[in-house]
Parts: sequence; structure tokens; C-alpha cells
Amino acid sequence: MRSRFTFLLGALVITAMPLALAQTGSLHLPGTVEAGSAFSIQSTGNGNAVLYIVGLGQVVKRKVQLGQTVSFAPGDLRSAGHYLAVLVGDSSTENGAFDVTAAHQPGALSFLAKPSRLAVDLHDGISGVVYVFDAFQNLVLATTQVSFQLSGVAGATQTRTALTHNGVAWTKMDSAAKEGSVQFVARVGDAASTRVMQLVPGNPCHLRMSARPSGQRLAVETEPVRDCNGNALPDGTIVTFTERYKGGESTVDVPLKRGVARTDMPAYGGAKISVATGVFVGNEIRWGGER
Amino acid sequence: MRDLQASKRGTQSVTTGSVDCKALRFVKGLLRWLDCGGLYPRKAERRRAVIQPEIRGSNPRPTNRKGVVQRTESIAPTRGPIPLSMIFLAAFVVHLPLLLMKLPLKSYDANFHIFFASHYLHNWFDPWNPKWYAGFSQTTYPPLPQQWLALVSRLIGLDMAYMAVQFIAILLLALGVYRFSMLWVDRRAAAFAALASVFLGSECFLVYSAGQLSTTFAAPLYLNALPYLFQWVRHGKWRSFLKGGALFVAAAAAHHATLLFGSFLFAVPVLALVIFDRQDGERVSIPAFLVRSGSIILVVGAAVAVVLLPFWIALIHYPVTQTPIPHPSRANYILSPQWGLNYFVVPYGALILALPFIFLRGSSIARLRPLLLGFWLAFLVGLGGTTPVGRLVLGRAFDVLTMERFSYWATLLALPFVGLLATTLIDRFQLRAVAGLTIAAGLTCALAVSWATYRPADAADFKVNAVASWLNRDGHDRYRYVTLGFGNKISRLAVLTNASSVDGEWNSGRMLPELTQFGGGALTSSKYFGKPGLDALSAILHHADRYGLKWVFVKDPYYEPLLVFGGWRRVDDLEDKTITVWSKEDVPPAIAVNAPQIPPQWQGLLWGILPIGSSILALVLVLIPERRWHRQRVVEPSTADENLVLQRLAS
Amino acid sequence: MSRIGRLLAIVITAATVALIVVGTIWPVPSAVAMAGSGATLLRPSSSPQAAVENLAAEIGQQAWEKAYSSLANKSEFTELEFARDLTGTYPSLRTYATLDSFDLRPLHASADEAQVQLKLRWSTVVGAFLDTRTLRVVRTGDRWGVLWPIVKEPRVPPQVIPVNYLRWDVIYRGPEDDWGSQDVEAPHVRIVDMHPVDRSAGVVIMGELLNEDVVPAFVTVKATLLAKNGSAIATEDSFDKISHILLPKQVTPFLIRFQNVALSEVDSVHMEPSASLIAASADPVIEIEDQHFNPAPGAALSGKLVNQSGQVVSVAHVLGTFYDKSGQLVWVADQYVDRALLPQTPVSFAMSIPADIASKVSSERAITTAYSSGRFQ
Repeated sequence: MRSRFTFLLGALVITAMPLALAQTGSLHLPGTVEAGSAFSIQSTGNGNAVLYIVGLGQVVKRKVQLGQTVSFAPGDLRSAGHYLAVLVGDSSTENGAFDVTAAHQPGALSFLAKPSRLAVDLHDGISGVVYVFDAFQNLVLATTQVSFQLSGVAGATQTRTALTHNGVAWTKMDSAAKEGSVQFVARVGDAASTRVMQLVPGNPCHLRMSARPSGQRLAVETEPVRDCNGNALPDGTIVTFTERYKGGESTVDVPLKRGVARTDMPAYGGAKISVATGVFVGNEIRWGGER
Repeated sequence: MRDLQASKRGTQSVTTGSVDCKALRFVKGLLRWLDCGGLYPRKAERRRAVIQPEIRGSNPRPTNRKGVVQRTESIAPTRGPIPLSMIFLAAFVVHLPLLLMKLPLKSYDANFHIFFASHYLHNWFDPWNPKWYAGFSQTTYPPLPQQWLALVSRLIGLDMAYMAVQFIAILLLALGVYRFSMLWVDRRAAAFAALASVFLGSECFLVYSAGQLSTTFAAPLYLNALPYLFQWVRHGKWRSFLKGGALFVAAAAAHHATLLFGSFLFAVPVLALVIFDRQDGERVSIPAFLVRSGSIILVVGAAVAVVLLPFWIALIHYPVTQTPIPHPSRANYILSPQWGLNYFVVPYGALILALPFIFLRGSSIARLRPLLLGFWLAFLVGLGGTTPVGRLVLGRAFDVLTMERFSYWATLLALPFVGLLATTLIDRFQLRAVAGLTIAAGLTCALAVSWATYRPADAADFKVNAVASWLNRDGHDRYRYVTLGFGNKISRLAVLTNASSVDGEWNSGRMLPELTQFGGGALTSSKYFGKPGLDALSAILHHADRYGLKWVFVKDPYYEPLLVFGGWRRVDDLEDKTITVWSKEDVPPAIAVNAPQIPPQWQGLLWGILPIGSSILALVLVLIPERRWHRQRVVEPSTADENLVLQRLAS
Repeated sequence: MSRIGRLLAIVITAATVALIVVGTIWPVPSAVAMAGSGATLLRPSSSPQAAVENLAAEIGQQAWEKAYSSLANKSEFTELEFARDLTGTYPSLRTYATLDSFDLRPLHASADEAQVQLKLRWSTVVGAFLDTRTLRVVRTGDRWGVLWPIVKEPRVPPQVIPVNYLRWDVIYRGPEDDWGSQDVEAPHVRIVDMHPVDRSAGVVIMGELLNEDVVPAFVTVKATLLAKNGSAIATEDSFDKISHILLPKQVTPFLIRFQNVALSEVDSVHMEPSASLIAASADPVIEIEDQHFNPAPGAALSGKLVNQSGQVVSVAHVLGTFYDKSGQLVWVADQYVDRALLPQTPVSFAMSIPADIASKVSSERAITTAYSSGRFQ
């Protein structure tokens, strides 16, 4: 309904334009207005008229006394963009245009941080993109400095700054060496936005197992499995034990529980038992005392 | 006998009614048409029936001595035929309550017809239905009953429209049996045959258990056309030619197989009867017989070719070459007695006891032999794989057709004999025979009707409304779906949902290679088709991306391992967790299949106009009153039996 | 009745009876299909083959009572044990399998005893499996009876098994969340090996996929064959030739078949692995014991599955990856196990490998996936 009304008004304005041009008199409009700020429009002439301010998604209608100043309160015009002012009098129509720009003061940030989960110790593994908006959700196109800060786990806090281009700023950061949650904060002036990211252990770097007899079978168990930074791989990580013996082989995929993987395997003298997780291969045991 | 007398009174009141009212005159005209050459005994006839018990009813061959003997047995003094109104009343009493209870909705195919009708309801001139098999053409199935269903549904909804159309078919069957029987036996026996059709096990089985609307709709049209065929070939009456021709075409528009096979099982015996009777009364020469037979065959053939043109085009371009699907009606009923019960005992019912009589009487009376042979052939083919006859006679069609329709036709062909048997028994055993026959008919009908309860199409009765709602919301219908373990509920679901499926119940219409190459039936019942069914299911799930198949609704957890190992994930539950919804990631939305099978617009126009038009034309033609006949009837002497019989024939 | 009439009645009646007899003794294929494997009237067990044939037909009809009563060694086990040998005690693929076909091969015969190999081809929801039994058949009077080699499925004794499993759950973004709140990251997976092969039936693409992440992933692999002009020849996915649920650091083989495409037509292959978050459990843990690679002829990888968890596994799927001496992937095979996996109870499997591939195989690796459900019927 609103758009239909806007369309009608637009049509009215376009129709009235040639007529208006034929009239004498003028409107004194500001060149630019900051979104949300107060401003005024000076009219000339005598009598009553109606002033229409038509912009994207917003129309303001005021009855005015010609020759007086029409004042607009803060917040009357909130959306940035190009506005048309049309003064419709009894015998004449005047018009003009002005721009509403976003407020200089950032009011809100839209912050896209990716990924939400990543391995530790990755160079440029984290990306952050910020869109800077004013208090009225207008994209602030003026160049603004954005600061990014990654903190939360043991290790140095990383800080980067970036300037916005056309309202957007971005950066890349390294993931820390310690697993855990990190806070990724983007800040412009008083406006800040925080995302929580999870740093998880990387590829295993340390995988060792031991074996001992368990009745008729062999109990094999890994030491706590860690990545190259000493982070323990999380429970549920699959560890594959493979036992090769004369003429046969046994395999079992075991999830880590409390940091270690353990299982029972058949006990064959001279059997070779190996352990792997993912594409990382751990140590190998030859059952029968050799190692 | 009180009933018979009462019915006589009833008949008199109709025929002697003197209220000069247009509507009543129309009804009288209609009843006169129903009489079709004297279905209702006129006053004079009734009088003669009383005083001349040897007068035949409509039997066209009064000089046949054997026939006379037989008829003399059957028409006893004071025993007239049961009026047709009483027969219709019996149909009302027996079938109307069952239909109002919507009992056929539990049958195998009722929802299939409703689904087709729902498409015609919304897309009368567009036979391409995208809801099954990712799109299929409804020109692959003659449309007449479904189109009538769609029309009537505008008044009373789809379900009740189905019941209404089915009920009309039941009434037409009684009429058709009456008229067909009168070619072979006397009026009294024909009336018993028509009454038996109301209780006929095969009819009840097809209506309430199988849900074969098309077959049960086409057969009455065909039976009603046959007397016209006889009259045209025997007497050369053009009106009969037109009426019979129109009815034949309408029958074909209802069910092509009925016309195709009915030609051999029903029409050939009738033509043979013309030859048997050619020397009596108005003689018909062999050339005239050949010309008349040939002309009606040619004209009807041409008309059927035009009326069902899109059907033939579809059949010629895309013949049914898919791997045959096993059907229990093709079983050997001795090796598989459970199917023998289903496809022989239930449809035949007490008729099994009449088989010796049919063989003996059919063999002993020469003019009944064509009918006997027609019955025998239909009987043997209807036994499915119990004998090799079906396979020998039908060839590859044996693996495509289902055999219960042959049993149905066999029982229809047997009804004139049943009428004879009834008259014989009643004449001999009086009330005891009436009681026995009533019990036999009642039990036969009851068994066949209740069979849908004892052997339901779906063991688990459940509603699919929740599934339809789920599909219709949140854009789920942008993707295709398939159900598993839904049985014939997939037709009902297809009526209710906007979404398209890759499955369906019309096997001859499907074109997806995954479905046609293995020999399984509906995917939803894959497990019952053994390895071929499961191979087809696996193939279609394998190509889910190709068809935009994102949703699988599982009622039967038997299928879960295939879904789990095939990469489908359970995403929702419906109906108190008795139905699970499975989904596959990364499936693109379904796009309309641009199949070459999509009929062009002109075929859609033909399909929307000609079949229904043929039935309306037939209706108009047969309702034209037989004024000339009645005038003749008044002026002609009524003393000679021969004349009387010929007049009756000249309807 | 006239003579012709009488004759006609006799002829029709006799012909009807004769046709029914013919149709029953030599049933048409559709009748055979409907009656199952026992479509012929059972012959008297007057020969070892006839006895085994009758037994197989009765098994096909699931006429356990009849089949059991025909056995020569029925005193050694109950009818229930016999039925459970064929259908399984616990829900499994066997439970609802239907006998697709059977064939038998006489091994040797004497006057009073014979040995016959019976191959039963069962059809299941995930494909067919073969059950081969070598049967001793003994003469008892003028009849032959089968000595059924019963396989008694062990019963799990009543016990309490502590459950200490790992499980992942996923909380997705709700509809009320603002657009800046992102969903949990999809698992990171990587194809670590990929190898197209030209086979007679078409092109086969096989490879291995690794879950690099610390969360379980639901994975699929799609491949598109591209022609020299860049157009797509065909797109297929791995369907069940992959383990769709990959736990952290788990590797699955995959195999994608393209029917009726020659490798010479293919310029490049576009691989599209996809992974999504899934709630998963680390249980059950299944050990593969005693893996043996048996070279051609009859090349197969055999072994035993041992369920190390307390949960009964209804259906297990074994995927085998085969490598040559240089460690290059040469084949991927799979096998469904038809019996349920009971806790700590070994169940055998054997997956066949094409003879031409078998000669190249130097090492192999097997993994299992499992389906357990109380709802499975």
C-alpha cells in the first residue's frame, strides 16, 4: 500500500514537474542532510501550500505557510538517499532535491566471522568482514577505521586494524596454538560486535601405543594422542589398530575416550601391530617382546 | 410368489399410468427404452403369459424346438418375469448403502481412479499429469469414467462422485445383463440373470475389493450394445446400428480392453447367434450378414480410433515394453491356493455350483453353444496361470493384463445360464429353490463385499493427510518424493498434495528407465516384488539428484537399511512416529521433465472432448423413443408367436 | 440331450481338467513367479536331488514345518532352531529376506548316501546374498532325507552392559537469530585419493575421503565426468559404496560407477565431496578379525566381524579398500552381512574381488558401518 502511495506521489511529482518549472519562486533546500538530524526548508511566497518530501521508503507531508521556514525534528528523515521536495500551492508547484547521508557516528556493526570452528595454528585461517552502519541502519560509506581483536586462549592477543571501503572492512588472522574458544571482536568507536570461535586440535603429531596380554588376547592402548602443539585430540577421534600376523590381519577402529584409545586384539606371536589416525601413522609393535 | 405378483402390480401401475405429465411421459419413455423390445410385458403379453405358458419372452427363435422345450420348463403358469424396477430396487437395497459408506475407497484401485479424475477436474484439456513418475500422460488410459467422475465431483466432491458413477455402472449392468440375456433365454430367465448380476460375486469383488471402475463401467455399456449389434446384423435396422455403434465407442472410451476382448468373448457369440437364427422369420443372407458385420466393425473401429486417437498415438510411439510385473491373478490357483481363493472362489461364489449345469445345458442346446464357448474361453483365461490357455491366447499381453477381468466377463457370460438354472429350480422346487437361490446369492455377494475387509488392499489403514500437509508446507513441494510401505494410499496422497512423486500406480504410463527395466510394480511396495522391485527402488534412490527426489516417507521400517546405507537421513516423524521422513542433502529442486511423451495441445483438446462426447452421444441416441416400433406393435396382430417375438426384437 | 451335446459337454469338461493338470504340472513362468521357488508340485523324495529340491522349495515358501519334518536329522534340533538358522534369531537381513532362487550341485553319491551343494539366493532390501550349504542326504527306505547342517545362532545371555559411549549432538541456529549469527561450521573433509578405472561396464571412480575435523560428518561424494569440450557426460554419486557417517579422522573408501561410459571419452572428472553436521554416536565399535585375502580364482577378502559393544547390530556393511605394491588404490569392494552382530560374537563375511584386480592386490583395509534399530522388521 505504501509503495503504491509512493508510486502515485512520484507520478504526481513527474506530472507536476513541467507545471512547476513554469512557475516562479523557489524552495531553499539544504544540499545534504545527515540521517536523523534536524533541518529546515525555507519557502518563499504567500498563502498555504503542502510540502512533500519523497525519498526511498519514506514520504513526509507537511502543510506549510509560504514564506515561512519549515522545520524537521531529529529523526524525521532516517533513511539515507536522494530525496525530492515538492511544494504544492494553490496556483503553483515548486520542487527541488537534496541528499540524506548516513550519520558519521557508527551505530551498529554486522560482523561475519569465518569459520566458526578451525584447527589451531593456522596462518590466515580466520577471516572477518565488517559492515558499518549508523544508528538508523544506513551503511556508512565514509572511510572508517575498524579494529579487529582475537583473544581468549593462552597466547598473545592479536589485533588488526582496517579501513572500510564503501562501508566494508575485512581482515585475516592466524589461529592460536592452543585449543579452546576465542573471541573475535570487531570495533568501530563505541560500536562492537563479538563472535565466538572454536579452535580445535590439529592433525595428530604424537601417536604411540603399548600392548599387554589380557587373558587370551592382547590389550592395546595409545598414549594420549596430541597434535603438534600439544593439544589432546578430542574424544571420538578414530584410531585404527591393525594387527598383521601370518596369513591374516585384524583391524579395529576405536574412538578416543578420555584421550586414549584402547581395545583388545587377538594375540598372535610375531604379529605386527600398527596404529594410525586419519592419515597419520603411529608406532608399530611386534608382539613377542620385540619392538 | 407373492413377491412376483407384487412386482407385476408394480409394473402394471407404470405401464398403465395415465397421468399426463411431461416428466412422467419421459420416465415412461425411458422405461420403454429400458424395455428394449419388450422388457416389460405389455397387457396383452401378460395376458398371454397367463393363458399361453409356452409363449417365449424375447427369444428370437421361437421355432427352435429345443429352445421351446427349455422355455416351457422355465415359464410356468402364473409366473411372470421379475420386473426391471424390482431388479433396480434390489440394486438400490444391496449397493446403495455400501456405496454411501464409501466402502470402495478401501479397494485397491478406487483412489487411482479418483487421482486421475482429480487431474481432469483441474486440467480437463491437459492430460500430462506431473504428479506421478515425474510426469506421465493420462492419454495412456481411456478416460471416460474418470471424466464423468470429475464432472460429477463438481457437485458432490470426488469421493461421492466415485460412488455415484459406480452406482450408475451397477444399474447399467443389471440392465445390460437383462438385455443381453434376452438374446439367449426367455424373459423370465433373463430377469433372473439380471437379478443375479446385482449379487454377482465378481462384480462385488471388482467394485469393493479391486476398485476397477473402468472395467465395471465399460462392461455394462458393452452388454447394452450387444442387442443392438444383434438387431443390426439380423434385421438391418439403422437405428440399432447407430445406437449400438455409439455404445460400443463409449465402452471403448471407458475401457479399451473390454472392447478388444469383449469382441471375441461377447460379440462373436452374438454374431454366431445371428447365423443360428438366420433361417427364422425374417431371413438374413450370408452376404448381408457379412456386410452388416463388416460395416459395424469398420465404423466402430474407425470411431474408436478417432475418439481414442491420443491413446493410440501414445501406444504406438511408446509401446509397453517394460519388464512384466508379476500379478497374483496370473498365478496357478492350485499351486497358490491363496490366490485361487482370491481370484476364483470369491468372484465366482455360488456360481461354481452352477458350472456343471452351464456345461450341460450349454452343450445340449445348439443356439446356446456360442455363449457356452465364449464363457468357456473367458473362464479358462480367467483362471490365470492355472491353465496354459491365457498365455497361449493372449501371448505377451498375458504378462501385462490382469486376469480377474476375464473371470468377470466369464461370470457375465454365465448369467443367462444362471437365469435358466434359476427358472428350472424354481419351477421344480418352488419356495425351497427360491430360498436356496436367495441364500446362495446372498452368500456370494456377502463374501465378495466383505473380502475387502478380510483381505484388505492395505493391511494397515492409515491417513495420509499429515504427509500431504507436510509436503504442502515450507516449500517441501519444490522437491519430489517417494513413499515406502504406503500401499495404494499413494493415490490418495497424490490427490491431496501438490508435490510430485517418482512413483505411481499406473505402470503402463511410466517411462523412467529405473522403473521400467526391472519388473517391479509401485516403488512403495517394492519388497513384495522381490529382487526386481528392490532393484528398481535402489536405482531410483541412486538417481535422486536427477529427479529432484529429496523426500522419502517410510511407513515400513523394512526399507530403513537401504536408506541409511544409501546416504539418506531421517529428518522428521509424522503420525505419532509411525511415518518417518528421510531426506538427502544437496538434491536440486525438481524441474519439469521435458519428455517427448508430453501430448501436444491438440491431443489434449481431443482427449477432453471426444471420449466424453461419445458417451453423451450414446446417451442421446439410446434415449430416442422407439415410436415407430410402438406404432407397429399396436397394429400388428398379436396371435402369432413368431410375430410377437420379431416385434420385440425390432426395438 | 443329443449325442453332439453330450459329446461337447464331455469334451469341454475333459479339456478343462486336462488344461488345469497341464498348467499345474508345467506352470507358466508367471505362475512360477507367484508361487515362489516351489512352483512345481513337490516330487516324492525318491532321489537325493529331489529331496534337496523339495526342501529348498519348502524353505522358499517358508513352510518351516514341512521342511523340518522332511529332514533326516530333525531329532538333533527343534523346528524353531531350524527356522532361526535360516531367518536369524535377531532382526537382520535374513529375517525378511525372500528366496529369489536356488540351485544345487551333486558332489558325490553312493547307494545310501549322497552329498549335494545347495545355493540359496536370498533377496534383501540392500541386495542379494548367497547362502551355500553342503548337505548330506541319506536314504531311509525308499525315500531320501536331508541331514541339515544346523548353524545355531548364539543367544546373548541376560546381562548388564555399561554404556559409556560418545555422542555428538548439534544445535542449529533458530529462526529468531539475526543473520549475523552463523550456523556451526560444516565438517571439513578431504579426498585423499582418487583413481578412475575403465571397466567393461563403464567407468569406475574410486578413492578415499578423510574427515579432517573433530566432529562427525555426514558425507557423500558426487562425481561428474566432463568431455573434452567441457560438457558434462554424466553425474553419479557413491550411494552405498561409502561410509556416510565419518567420525573424526576416519577414512572411508568410495566407489562411483558410470554405466556405459568409456574412459577415453572423459577429459576430466569433477569431484564434489559434501559434508554436513550430524548427530552421531561412536558406538558400536566393530573389530574385523582374521582378514584373509584369498587370491584368484574366487578372489575374496574374508574375515570375521566382532561387535565390541553391547548393542546388537542388525545390519553391518563392510567396505574393503585394496592397494597395489606402490600403495596405489586399485579397487573398492563391499559386502553386507546377513546375520545380526551380537556382542562379542564373531560373524563371518567374504567380499569378492574381480579376478583381474586380485592379481594386483598387495594390501587391503576394511572398515564397517552398522545399522541398528528396534524398529527394523
